[in-house]
Amino acid sequence: MSMPILSLITFLPLAGALLVIFLPKDNKQVLYGVALTLTAVTFLVSLFLFFGFDAQTTNPQFVEKTAWLGYGIQYHLGLDGISLYFVLLTTFLMPIALLSSWSSIRDRIKEYLFFMLVLETGIIGVFVSLNLFLFYVFWEAMLIPMYFLIGIWGGKRRIYATLKFVLFTMLGSLLMLVAIFVLYTLFYKATGTYSLNLYDYYQMLLNPRLQTWLFLAFSLAFAVKVPMFPLHTWLPDAHVEAPTAGSVILAAVLLKMGAYGFLRFAIPLFPDAVQKFLPVLSILAIVGIIYGGLMALIQKDIKSLIAYSSVSHMGLVMLAIFSLNIEGLVGAIYQMLNHGLSTGALFLIVGILYERAHTRQIKDFGGVSKQMPIFSAFFLIAMLSSVGLPGLNGFIGEITCFFGIFAANKVYAILSVSTVILTAAYLLWMFQRVMQGPITNEKILSFKDMNRREIGYLLPVVILMFWMGIYPQTFIRKMDVSLGHYLNRIKNREKIFVQKSDPIPAQMRIPEKDATR
Amino acid sequence: MTSFAALTPLLIIVGAALVVLLLEAFIKRENKNFLAFVSLFFLVSCAVVCLRSWNLALSYFDGQLRLDSLALFFTCLVLVGGVFVILIGLKYNTLQNIDHGEFCGLLLLAASGLMIMVSSLNFIVIFLGLEVLSVSSYALAGLKRKDEKSSEAAIKYFLMGCFAGAFLVFGLALLFGAAHSLTIPEIVSFFSSPSNSQILGLVGLGLVIIGFAFKIALVPFHMWTPDVYEGAPTPVAAFFSVGPKIAGFAVLLRLLVPYWNKGFESGKIFSFLWALAALTMLVGSLIALRQKNLKRLLAYSSIANAGYMLIAVLAGDGTGLVFFLTVYLFMSIGAFGSLLALNKKGQEYGELDDFAGIGFKYPWIGAIFAVFLISLAGFPPTGGFLAKFYVFVGAVRQGLTPLVIIAVLASLISAFYYLRIIVYMYMREPGREIEIEMENPALFLALFICLYGVLQLGLFPGNILVIIKQAVTALF
Repeated sequence: MSMPILSLITFLPLAGALLVIFLPKDNKQVLYGVALTLTAVTFLVSLFLFFGFDAQTTNPQFVEKTAWLGYGIQYHLGLDGISLYFVLLTTFLMPIALLSSWSSIRDRIKEYLFFMLVLETGIIGVFVSLNLFLFYVFWEAMLIPMYFLIGIWGGKRRIYATLKFVLFTMLGSLLMLVAIFVLYTLFYKATGTYSLNLYDYYQMLLNPRLQTWLFLAFSLAFAVKVPMFPLHTWLPDAHVEAPTAGSVILAAVLLKMGAYGFLRFAIPLFPDAVQKFLPVLSILAIVGIIYGGLMALIQKDIKSLIAYSSVSHMGLVMLAIFSLNIEGLVGAIYQMLNHGLSTGALFLIVGILYERAHTRQIKDFGGVSKQMPIFSAFFLIAMLSSVGLPGLNGFIGEITCFFGIFAANKVYAILSVSTVILTAAYLLWMFQRVMQGPITNEKILSFKDMNRREIGYLLPVVILMFWMGIYPQTFIRKMDVSLGHYLNRIKNREKIFVQKSDPIPAQMRIPEKDATR
Repeated sequence: MTSFAALTPLLIIVGAALVVLLLEAFIKRENKNFLAFVSLFFLVSCAVVCLRSWNLALSYFDGQLRLDSLALFFTCLVLVGGVFVILIGLKYNTLQNIDHGEFCGLLLLAASGLMIMVSSLNFIVIFLGLEVLSVSSYALAGLKRKDEKSSEAAIKYFLMGCFAGAFLVFGLALLFGAAHSLTIPEIVSFFSSPSNSQILGLVGLGLVIIGFAFKIALVPFHMWTPDVYEGAPTPVAAFFSVGPKIAGFAVLLRLLVPYWNKGFESGKIFSFLWALAALTMLVGSLIALRQKNLKRLLAYSSIANAGYMLIAVLAGDGTGLVFFLTVYLFMSIGAFGSLLALNKKGQEYGELDDFAGIGFKYPWIGAIFAVFLISLAGFPPTGGFLAKFYVFVGAVRQGLTPLVIIAVLASLISAFYYLRIIVYMYMREPGREIEIEMENPALFLALFICLYGVLQLGLFPGNILVIIKQAVTALF
């Protein structure tokens, strides 16, 4: 057994959090120094994952498995081509988020850093757990630091926003917990052994009626997190009220947990139910795309504009996932990474603007680019990346998603392409109103351009945007095999079921068409 | 094995109560703290005796008093609870002008009542234990003699306790009429033969269960709980939230688990309890939403938790129930203890508004209280999560999925009000200025042990679970 690298990455931030408790309260330099060092080290260690990851293996890698509480509850970590990039995204963005809060978080720095570090552990844990119990523990535990981050350091309506966020998420996840119990019981009844191992559950064949209920319980948890229309209402509140770093993590990583949950749990565990609900879910995703885009158009607050753009973009991601073909899945994951980078960058940029102006209302700005040329360049790149300009990462993701969606259903594809137009419309219009034109507000004259720290944390993001846009192969080649295997597993299992049940249910037709294509 | 040794734990505690009450007469007012230490010594030595008789299965009085492993485990829980209550009360009693001698003496007597209840299979003996517990509890609730609310609590508890006792005795009479015996195995064997007429027995059984439902505060027999908790001195309220629950559920567990397995027509009682559980969880959680006083809020939370424990009884899941009770002991006493930290001479702070801004003004109290609340709300990685996890898993395995869905919805509602306390502590500006007495090492010792317990049971409950599993085998 080699070094437990996944445990190291997961628990290094937690160790940092415990360390932070014992540091002096008033020494900002030391506090930030420790927190930044630890997150940076975590990122560096996680790079080993990227280089050590064997793209040709389909089974989870870097596996750690030890007994924990007995009765199937094991400490079981592992990484495959699906989760690899989410872990990297988290570790990459965490130091950046911390750097961005250097000047915006002035009070209670110690507590702030504590919760940020705990949050990182929770998020990484969600992505690497292969035991359902462990997954659920991280999934729920992650709520607590986020609850505090929004509630303490948030804006005016922070208490409302944070309670809404927690209760919405809990509603979904508690029903998922019941579904996990049912799976656990079924597995025990079928085999006589206790297990909460995800890969054991993949082999279970459930009757379609039961699958429906279980799938609904799991989907609710994940759909809240994504968020899919109409469960998205917590998102704009949480985003607007959260401190900048909180918004960054929320948009860039937390939303991905929902989509990841669909990919990892809901879809492979209940393939028959997925087929049954595919049309409904796809339509909800499309409604999300269009509704989110339209809502973004009319927002007055830059942050809530970006929040609604997340609803729209995640709708596209979900639609791509529901197309259940290799292009769609690669596109979805790639697009999630893009969304993480571009939306993360946009939130950072709004944060920079807010620190200077203390407002986020679009109408208070105008002509900022004259005063802040470097900032303007970064803003433009981040925005174009989100719009999907060729040469930047967003383009690759979106186009692959559309390939997948088009192969699955042409009507959906046509409807979903509207996201390109809508995104361009609301983002460019916002950019125009905020950055261009004459300077409307004399306060803007006092704005200073970005300082070295701000450039320092945005630059890596921008570099990565170009890299992912120009040479996506670096990243895609590590997920291809895993995803192919993943699809294979879903579809083969369906065939087993089809053989057993007669007559063939009507909703089975779609995957068969896919298989012959 | 019949041996006089089976009486030792009980004798130690009763002896301790008498010694404390006697000593009180000879000790000066300023030194009465000493009595608390005497009680602690006796509680701990009793726990040691209990541990030493583990697996010996001692019994006495023709097997009416049996120290099987389950009884020993529950006894240890009661003793640990007693230790915590005395620790958190040490400073509080001095500040609130409560007499240490009476407090400790009555508490020890109540503990002895609990110990009798958990270690017998005969309902007459159990009833005796219940009365010992009840009489000392009424006095404990009224310990703040100058406080109207405290007296009100005592009277209310007394009246409700009488009702409960009447139900119980009437039920026992009917049961005796039907089954010609009051020991649990014979009652169960009466129910398991279909030739016996069941109706008289079922009514009796129902009444007995109602009697206990009063004690463990199941809806709709819970009305006394918030008033009594609010009025009683806080350490006493902490004791009420834990002690009677341990004993009541111990009896229900011993009675109902064999009954589910063997009982003929057990479905009626089952549906009755099913409804009680659902009602208890929902009502407890919903009414707590409106509470402004933290003691009342915790009272409703303890009602809701009784509902979760009842699920374990319904599922016949002894391990889950005992684990839940163990975790609950730490969480509940911890929560009451943190609440009690906010007091000074002659005054207590218990309103929600008093907690505004506490998290940053008194970081330790805030953080510890927050952990207990998070555990009560059932978030991982705390013991509260694992306790609910085991209970719910056990219930789903027995096909109680609808009840579990109600339970998770109730937990969702309850998460709201637990988190609201945290909102006040960390996200609101301080309201009225409060001053508290910080120098309270005994309280903090108890709080830290509870904190450790909650986290240890949430992350690595391994050994405790093994012991509990061993203890529960006594049921079969």
